[in-house]
Amino acid sequence: MDLNAISFWVFSTLAVLSAIYVVFGKNIIYTVLSLISTLIMVSGLFFTMGAELVGALQILIYAVAIVVFYVLVISTVPQFKGQATDGKYMLLSIPVGFIVFLELAYVSIYGVWQSSTGIFDEKVLSELGNAKAVGTMLFTKYLFPFEVASLILLVAMIGAIILGRKKEDVQGV
Amino acid sequence: MKELIITSIAIGVKSLVFIIGMFLLAAYLTWIERKFAGHVQQRPGPLHVGWHGLLQPIADALKVLTKEDIVPQGVDRFLFYLASLLAFVPAIMILAVVPFGEPINIFGYEIKPYITDLNVGLILALAFGSISIYGVIFAGWASNSKYPMIGGLRKAAVLIGYEVALGFAMVGPIMQAGTFSLRGIVEAQQGLWFIIPNILGFIVILFAILAETGRTPFDVQEAEAELVSGYNTEYSAMKFGLFPLAEWYIATFVLSAIAVILFFGGWNGPHIFGALSPFIWFFLKLAMMFMFFLWVHWTLPRYRVDQITELAWKVMLPLSLVNILVVAIWIMIFG
Repeated sequence: MDLNAISFWVFSTLAVLSAIYVVFGKNIIYTVLSLISTLIMVSGLFFTMGAELVGALQILIYAVAIVVFYVLVISTVPQFKGQATDGKYMLLSIPVGFIVFLELAYVSIYGVWQSSTGIFDEKVLSELGNAKAVGTMLFTKYLFPFEVASLILLVAMIGAIILGRKKEDVQGV
Repeated sequence: MKELIITSIAIGVKSLVFIIGMFLLAAYLTWIERKFAGHVQQRPGPLHVGWHGLLQPIADALKVLTKEDIVPQGVDRFLFYLASLLAFVPAIMILAVVPFGEPINIFGYEIKPYITDLNVGLILALAFGSISIYGVIFAGWASNSKYPMIGGLRKAAVLIGYEVALGFAMVGPIMQAGTFSLRGIVEAQQGLWFIIPNILGFIVILFAILAETGRTPFDVQEAEAELVSGYNTEYSAMKFGLFPLAEWYIATFVLSAIAVILFFGGWNGPHIFGALSPFIWFFLKLAMMFMFFLWVHWTLPRYRVDQITELAWKVMLPLSLVNILVVAIWIMIFG
């Protein structure tokens, strides 16, 4: 076993274990902590596969920028509310979760099947570097989806600004 | 298998050298800060332990280590312990991607003064720097007490704003160097330092580092007059010691190193000190950067928390975007 294989098994085991705690844990602040752990372990998986850019962005965007808002909200929730459970959400979440699982499985299998057909094999990647490869693809083949995604984000941002506006400003307009 | 063991031992030893070196350095940075603060306020600072208080850091360390470690009732014990590590470990992890010079040859061995040279080093440094936010938030939550809670939330609000501005301000040097690798950025500055077109980005980064490390104009998370001691109010002994060590010294030092690498040419400089001149130049620039933060810290009064976040979103973020535009025009004209 080389170092890559060992770190793959360590990272994936820890990722699965902490993901299980996210689902079954009772204390919400611990579940959000193990969510952070899951995301960091997944980033470690990206590193073992040689996708450093995705790994670093995974930590920066998912493990910090997004989850920090969960933490902010959850840490201000009173503890008894955080530990309350409700059966009816369970009923809803099982079919929805199953559909999401099917979609993820389809995407992963499709990805495995596709990965050997692209132009970016290991040799090209090591010459070009991760950032350049991602940038090239983003601004040529995937330019339109990229622009659409940024437009959606812009709309969301304007919506958030309108929601967050103070009341007296609305009367003034 | 043999190769694996040798690699892990080599990386382990190197990391250990970096971490122990950083600890010793951080201890003496506290002495420098206390001396400096003393003279700013027209008093001598530490004077009694050793010559001009030179042994003061050792006395402090002994005191902090041997003090009674009190865990208050009602705290979440696991998270309470974890939070002090969560604040400390990411700060020291940034060291993994910061280079301190070019590889040098000593007695036929090539010694690299950095742990790794990833081609995404800068993003990783940013990522590790922002993970330490959890230490502060969880410290506030686990303490189960009002003031730490408020301090933690304040720090989170400040960090979210400045993290964005910091990221955008780093784009200028990255565009000019064409790489995320910190070594690559230094190599790209052999002619002209990146401070020239990136002056706006540098100003944004100065503010962001002050906010990120919780130094005075932005130290709302522990504002003594309002919050006792902020998020670390309930901590004692070494767990208390870890927070300022991580934030005020290690984070400030490492972020100063990154600022020097991004804007002041890293270890580039005339070879007037022989083989050691890259190190001397780098540490000279680094020391000036660090002293600048100390100077600001001990001179200015504190902002209000809403003013800080407003400054981040309404001034710093637009400034860093303007910086990107300026650098883009600069690259189009001068290539």
